[in-house]
Amino acid sequence: MAKTPPAGEIFKAGLWSDNPVLRQILGICSTLAVTNLMVNTLVMNAGLIFTLCMSSMTVSLLRNITPLRIRMMVQVLIIASYVIVVDLVIQTYLPDISEALGPYVGLIITNCIVMGRCEAFARNNPPWPSFLDALAVGLGYALVLIFIALVREPLGFGTILGLRIMPQGFTPWTIMIMAPGAFFTLGILVWIIRAFYPIQAEE
Amino acid sequence: MKSRVYSILYMFALTVAFTALVGGVKSLSQDRIQRNQELKLQRIILRVLDIKVDRGTSDQDLAALFKSRIKTTSVGDRLLYLARAEKGPGLAGIAFPVGGKGFWGPIQGIAAVDPKGEKLVGLAFYKHSETPGLGGRMTEPWFQDQFKGLALRPMEKGRKIFYFKPAGASRKPEELDAITGATQSSMAIEAFLNQELDYFLKNIMGKLEGEKS
Repeated sequence: MAKTPPAGEIFKAGLWSDNPVLRQILGICSTLAVTNLMVNTLVMNAGLIFTLCMSSMTVSLLRNITPLRIRMMVQVLIIASYVIVVDLVIQTYLPDISEALGPYVGLIITNCIVMGRCEAFARNNPPWPSFLDALAVGLGYALVLIFIALVREPLGFGTILGLRIMPQGFTPWTIMIMAPGAFFTLGILVWIIRAFYPIQAEE
Repeated sequence: MKSRVYSILYMFALTVAFTALVGGVKSLSQDRIQRNQELKLQRIILRVLDIKVDRGTSDQDLAALFKSRIKTTSVGDRLLYLARAEKGPGLAGIAFPVGGKGFWGPIQGIAAVDPKGEKLVGLAFYKHSETPGLGGRMTEPWFQDQFKGLALRPMEKGRKIFYFKPAGASRKPEELDAITGATQSSMAIEAFLNQELDYFLKNIMGKLEGEKS
């Protein structure tokens, strides 16, 4: 079993060198779907970070008693339970946003980032580092989504968090609201980052 | 063999634990969720019936206003919301759910007509899966408001209650602006809404006489 890395390294990996969206191209479905409005993006980020942290912690706490061959089943059960809790909480307190996010909160269950962290980190490490790892990776995901929303909402709606920031005569770019707008934004972002900071294996 | 039994028992216990967690949260939140949905629908019904709801009206006040002004009834399997006149007997309007197939998924809304069923007084869509910024613009005021005052005559062969035209090209009162860039969504709305209004005029309106007093 590999030694647990220190907290600084965990955060550096989650936010930058192993950033789930930019480096591993995980969680793309929700990245494309919810980033046309900043409010939706922030709620989605909170939901994912909560699910990720709680799932990683739980998987880590149970790591010594979970039989190896049913571990995937156990992970899916844990992740799905937390996601349903998140979905219920959003429906209870933020009904409008729940409607805007539609099925995407439920789809956190299938977000590869969550199960990826459980498999790659939490099942071999103690709870506290697992929590930090989940938090770092979740923040890495969140930062990318916020950046994309910062491009899409002003260009697509002329607003940011619902406040008008573009001049009156500005014609919204409808394509920025739709999934292709997110593809372009994300594609260009990944291209730029990889051009300046190549992944080590590619060097 | 022993490990297999352990695996099954372990999974069983864990499932019970997590189901209990989800069930607990669900039972704590379901009243509030149901209430959220009811309030949302009530707000929309009051709006399409042109009953003024001040901005920032509390949930309690809204529910009270709805209770005092709206009588819920049904004809056959169709729900109806009858608005009592503000003063005196009689009705101020009739609201009813309308719905049908959109381009991507089902669309649900509420339409309201005057007590005689001669014209639309309001229309709102509250559930759809159309593309945001395109078909999704059906929830915007400019689109819904143009239905206000639309004359209602039962459909005949070759004549619908209303038609969509490209924005700006409508000339007659029954011609309304379609959503630019969302031809399919607009056509879907034209198809089901004409049907639903026609059904109301032909099958529901006549049976409502007893309710009016």
